[in-house]
Amino acid sequence: MPRDSEDRSFRYPLKWRIMDGLNAALDLLWPRRLGRYTGWALLTPALLLVGILVLGLFQIAENSLHTLDTSTFLPGEEYTLANYLIVAESPTYWRIIWRSLLGAGLTVFFTLLLALPYSYMMVRTNKAALRKTLLIVLFLPFFIGQVVRAYGILIVMGSSGAVNDALGLVGIEPIRLLFNFPAVVFGLVQYMLPFAVLMLAPALTAIPRETETAASSLGANWLKVFRHVILPMAKPGLVGAALVVGTLSLTDFAMPAMLGGGSQDFIANAIYDQFFRTADQGLGSALALLLVALGSVIAGVVIAFFGAGTLGMRGRK
Amino acid sequence: MNRNITRRGILRTGMATGGAALLTPFSASRIFAQEPEKPAEIIVRAWGGDWVAALKAGVSDRFTEETGIAVRHDLTEDNEIQPKIWAAVAQGRIPPIHVNWDTTTNASKSALRGVTEDLSDLANLANTTDLAKPIGLDGYPIVNTYGYVYVLAYRPEAFPDGAPKSWRDLLDPRLKRRIALYNDGIGFHFPAQVAGGGSLEDIPGNMDACWEFIREIKNQQPLLGEDPDFTAWFQNGEIDAACTISTNALAAKKNGIDLAWTVPEEGCKFDTDGLWIPQGLPENELYWAKQYINMALSQESQQIWLDGLGLPGVVPDLTPPEGLENDPSYPTKPEDFENLIRISSKIQIENESEWFAKFKEIMQG
Repeated sequence: MPRDSEDRSFRYPLKWRIMDGLNAALDLLWPRRLGRYTGWALLTPALLLVGILVLGLFQIAENSLHTLDTSTFLPGEEYTLANYLIVAESPTYWRIIWRSLLGAGLTVFFTLLLALPYSYMMVRTNKAALRKTLLIVLFLPFFIGQVVRAYGILIVMGSSGAVNDALGLVGIEPIRLLFNFPAVVFGLVQYMLPFAVLMLAPALTAIPRETETAASSLGANWLKVFRHVILPMAKPGLVGAALVVGTLSLTDFAMPAMLGGGSQDFIANAIYDQFFRTADQGLGSALALLLVALGSVIAGVVIAFFGAGTLGMRGRK
Repeated sequence: MNRNITRRGILRTGMATGGAALLTPFSASRIFAQEPEKPAEIIVRAWGGDWVAALKAGVSDRFTEETGIAVRHDLTEDNEIQPKIWAAVAQGRIPPIHVNWDTTTNASKSALRGVTEDLSDLANLANTTDLAKPIGLDGYPIVNTYGYVYVLAYRPEAFPDGAPKSWRDLLDPRLKRRIALYNDGIGFHFPAQVAGGGSLEDIPGNMDACWEFIREIKNQQPLLGEDPDFTAWFQNGEIDAACTISTNALAAKKNGIDLAWTVPEEGCKFDTDGLWIPQGLPENELYWAKQYINMALSQESQQIWLDGLGLPGVVPDLTPPEGLENDPSYPTKPEDFENLIRISSKIQIENESEWFAKFKEIMQG
């Protein structure tokens, strides 16, 4: 009898009851028989967002087929490929496209070069204080916008900035460090480093420490361990980081605009000029589509050959 | 006190009140028409820094004081607000701003596109000079509010022998990487045409001389930027000379930078800015937006606004700001314009894309 009264007085914990309530509510909203569509339901918001992007691209594609009538500043009625022809025949645009590709390539190279040892140290160190310091140093600039960071570089590396002041201490006259192509690449590397570290860190964490120890115990020195163990096993992270850094750099606007001194435009700057400076939305749209195509082809080729790394797809065996 | 109210007394009071009302900028509308409902605020697009400070002091604050309507300044770049306005008008939406402070060239594009309201009924237009009228457009789809000169601004310590006399002086090897132009070449094309040995009459048909001179300038590796950049570059010691609007040079000087400016022998480009209203505003807001522009054309507003900018206005008898009397960047008399180059907005907007592409082709090389 006492046991029976205990059973009657038993109440499930509050959290359980809340979860039961939520489950019941969910059953009402999304009955169990629809369970096989749950995946699609979860995907729907993302698909809607991508759908809006695709619709925008169609609109841009339509715009790119009209030239600007400068007597009314309205797009012409006729459908034409003239805007694409202008790009194809313009040495300026070819130069800008080449500069964007080179800039993105160099940014990927230097960013990975710096990000790999940084990430490795961050995930392998036994000292919690060092790990935290590395994380803070990494994320502090991450919370500052790209434009503010570019301004920081302008101040530090300007003719009368800290770097030139330091050079002056050893008798070197002030030199122009900014407003050239290397300055743009420097800015991009500085901006992209946290992205690359974020992509690399999980891949490096996934490499068992024992594998490195085994290689060392078999006589491999540090360099060999790095070359034959860490690098191949970190490939998914490297590929993922390269994809993210490469595509973001290729489409960057602020760094070339602010650190390039007006003569180091990337494709995004050329697009801006057409949309906002000459009001030629047709030519701007053609350039925008070319940028999308260029980025997609490069990403497609990389994924086809190397997989998407930590982005989660497998490449050709 | 014992006061007799007489018929004559009432008439006299009425006359006096009416007379006082006539002296205010909104007199006509107050007397002859019922004022439409006042919006809580109107939005005026403006350039930042000293530019918006001058507009606020000269026009916006006075407008708020007179009408009680707050003025919000939208500092979106003129080039960036343009497509937004065009899209709003095309889609039948209310435009994002009430008044656009714009370059005449840019504004003319909007006028040609048919997205501007007609301003020819503004009362204060009667008191303006010819400069207020946009050339090559019917009526007043925009109203020019002042003129400005793209001067050769320079740091006197970099020119110990005195002011540069020619734009060709910028080719001096010691000025390599020490000069700046606008990143679309604006302000530089026409003097470059003369400095390159060409003639202004050949614009736009033959501008080879202009491009040849710009190629020479390119070898000097100039910095290319926009208004705020010039002030910053002078301030940070990045440049010694620039082709820029005199207002920017004035702003830099006010910030304590030792700066001077000149109009070289080949001349300088003279142009205008203006105000316009996008189509699609509710009737009452359109009315008050027009009153804002009307106030901008009043003698008092022009005086305060343009004192801040250091630029010549479009109403007669303005007093030049201190130090700018007889300054080449502050032309008022016909002879002041002899060395200034003014090309119609129509030619400029028809050829802008081509000139821009050519300038980019040279500078991006």
